[in-house]
Amino acid sequence: MNNLKIFFFILLLLSNITYASAKPYVEKELLDKIGKKYKVYAKKRFFFLQQTLDSVKDASDLEKLKEVNTFFNEVRYKTDIKVYRKRDYWATPWEFLGKDMGDCEDYVISKYFALRYLGVDSKKLFFTYVKSSKFTAAHMVLTYFKTPRSEPLILDNYNRRIFPASKRKDLTPIYNFNGDSLYKASKKGTGKKVKKKKAHKKWDELKLNMKRKKI
Amino acid sequence: MTLFRQIAIMLSIFLLIILATVLTLNFQSANESVQDRLYEDAKNTASSLSLSLGTANGDISIMSTMINANFDSGNYRRISLLDVDENILYDRKLESDIVDVPEWFLKAINIQAPIASANVSAGWSQVGILNVQSDESYAYIQLYSILINLLASFSIIAFVGLVILNLILIAILKPLKEVQRQAEAVIRNEFIIQDNIPYTKEFKDVVLGMNNMVSKVKAMFDKGNEELKRQKELEYIDKATKLRNRKYLIDKLPEYLKIDATSKGGLNMMIALNGIIEANEQIGHRDVDKLFMNIADIFRAHASNFDNSIVSRMNGTEFSILLPDCSAMEGLALAEGISSAVSTSIKSFELDENIVYVAEGLYEYNFKENIGQVLSHTDNALAQAKFKDSKIHLEKAENAVEVMGKEAWRKIIHDAIEKNNFNFVSWTAVDAKMRKVAHNVLSLTLKVDKDTTYYYGQFMAPANQAGLSSSIYDNVLSMMFKTPDMTLKSSICSLRLPFDYLIQDNTYESMNELFNVYASKLPFKLIIEMPDKLVRQNSTLIKRYKALFEKHNIDMGLFEFIGESVDYQYLQDLRPVYIKGETSYFLSQSDQALSALRLITNTVGISLIATGVMTMETLNKLHEKDIYIIQGRATEMVELT
Repeated sequence: MNNLKIFFFILLLLSNITYASAKPYVEKELLDKIGKKYKVYAKKRFFFLQQTLDSVKDASDLEKLKEVNTFFNEVRYKTDIKVYRKRDYWATPWEFLGKDMGDCEDYVISKYFALRYLGVDSKKLFFTYVKSSKFTAAHMVLTYFKTPRSEPLILDNYNRRIFPASKRKDLTPIYNFNGDSLYKASKKGTGKKVKKKKAHKKWDELKLNMKRKKI
Repeated sequence: MTLFRQIAIMLSIFLLIILATVLTLNFQSANESVQDRLYEDAKNTASSLSLSLGTANGDISIMSTMINANFDSGNYRRISLLDVDENILYDRKLESDIVDVPEWFLKAINIQAPIASANVSAGWSQVGILNVQSDESYAYIQLYSILINLLASFSIIAFVGLVILNLILIAILKPLKEVQRQAEAVIRNEFIIQDNIPYTKEFKDVVLGMNNMVSKVKAMFDKGNEELKRQKELEYIDKATKLRNRKYLIDKLPEYLKIDATSKGGLNMMIALNGIIEANEQIGHRDVDKLFMNIADIFRAHASNFDNSIVSRMNGTEFSILLPDCSAMEGLALAEGISSAVSTSIKSFELDENIVYVAEGLYEYNFKENIGQVLSHTDNALAQAKFKDSKIHLEKAENAVEVMGKEAWRKIIHDAIEKNNFNFVSWTAVDAKMRKVAHNVLSLTLKVDKDTTYYYGQFMAPANQAGLSSSIYDNVLSMMFKTPDMTLKSSICSLRLPFDYLIQDNTYESMNELFNVYASKLPFKLIIEMPDKLVRQNSTLIKRYKALFEKHNIDMGLFEFIGESVDYQYLQDLRPVYIKGETSYFLSQSDQALSALRLITNTVGISLIATGVMTMETLNKLHEKDIYIIQGRATEMVELT
């Protein structure tokens, strides 16, 4: 009898795991809306993204980083002022891939959420404000820390390959930031139950747009 | 509770609830805003400090100095730096916790400053996480100040709001006040027509309805008034000469023949015109009627010199002139004057004055006599006059033997006033139909010693003669109000005040002073009876008394009513609770006259009371005339329930 119970429990667990992994990066309803707004090519881009993500879902973090970095670096770079008529705008992954263009923050955001979809720990991923000596401009890259003290890997849209930080002499790090971990930290730090607070102005705005499924 | 008060309370509560809710929401919003501000400040510090810490390249000593500098220069509860494994690298906490706000406020408001975090890095390496928490003391002070300001401004708003609400309600319910005033007037039997018709439909309908009702009642009153006037004219006026008639004299005489009468006596003159049949034959009816008119004018002219005189035609050829306070000498002179004037008039009609002449019998009456005695003595005098050459005869009243001399009376009454030896006695006026006491009638006794007590009828006449009656009334009124008889508590009592007392200059003022102090403490309901004569002779004064009584919740009654006024509008103006008339007056009234009177009194809610009812037979006669409230010996024969 006990063996039977264990069998059903494992079956239930497996069915859940199957369901979880089967959940697409972009849900069908949203995909249809994207198709309507950005036409069929946009919908195809999301289809290819799903294919790419599915192809590395069981791979190592490094494989995931490479595939995701390569996929999104195919998107055309365009400044926010040209795309959104704003000086600085953090686009949702759906806007970025739907329009098939964006600036450095948009690459970082899309890469970050794709990697999070693939199960990469948010503690390892940071939005890093850097200064690029090549372009002498403010820039942002996604950094991956295998461990908190290890040297990070840089996922950049200018230099399309992933390099360790020490190989990127053209970049000077200014500030690391991870919205998810910051929110967790502020909750932990009080020792008391606190109301949900904002962690970072741009991050909060982005999270709100994502919640509203902005495309 | 009035409708105005109910609505005012309801709306005030509603307003206060709204204001309290808005105040609470405002305060909550301020609370949240202050807490948000705390977080924003902490967040700004965390961001800027984390950037600064990044320049320290992981040197703890530099980073702790930077944290100290920030902590000391700002309002922070805690700044801590954790490494990537969440171990504390450096921590600063606020040690003192003094907040300058009341203790209750600290307990009531729970502020928890949120913690803002920022990543700290050194180059590409992570150093850890910086947590910053602002000091909530500042928030408490700010919130307390906001609360005080909110309370002050909302108190002002509430006060202004309530005042405005009150004014709006007064404006909206103003028509209702008018309706209420009109309704109260109806209760007081006043006829007020409201000219300002309210705009609000419900009020408008009520006002129109009440106006309609009041108009109808007023029309009924006016009809009764007109009818009574017409009846009085038929009842009391001789058609040919326009003089009063015998009935009037009979009804009026009791006012002159009573203990507290204004006049203590005078002359009654009976004048007979002889030879009228012959005159009719000689000059015809029309001229004889003219002769009568001339003679009537002569009588009126001669009597007019005497106040309160009554000239009446007793029958076809006999006339009576009642002359109060007229001496024998004056009477004889008057009789001669009349005789001479009538003689001249007779001559002017070319009649023989040996055939057509007047005989005048004069009787010197006093107030103690009754009507029958006065009239029969006057008739005797006239009979004797007819046998005299002068055709004038004066008969003097037989002086009753006084038990006690005037001076002895004066002394007793004077002493009684000084020692306050007067007492109240009461008997009842009874509603024979309802078989219950209508009210207690108060009268006075004068107690000289334990064996000797004089009744009103005994001492009042000498008191009048001695000019002390007003002092007696001042005395007893004062006694009634200052030391009221508690056995009469919760009952209704009437007190009759005589004409002479009421018209005295200082009576009104002394009553006013007395009432102002003591009227509210009177343990029984008082009805002050005023003589009908005062109504007729001094309408201004009676209105002042009415206003005075009304102010002190004292009712007014009328006594000695014989309905001789030319207009009964005064009954509507004065609205006495009852009218007292002699039984003989009510019994002698025609059905038409009584029904007209009843129409008036019913319209304004006045009871009719017959006084001096002595027998059951009289009581039954009064019942036939729908008079049920009585006073007199017959009250003892009515079985009370």
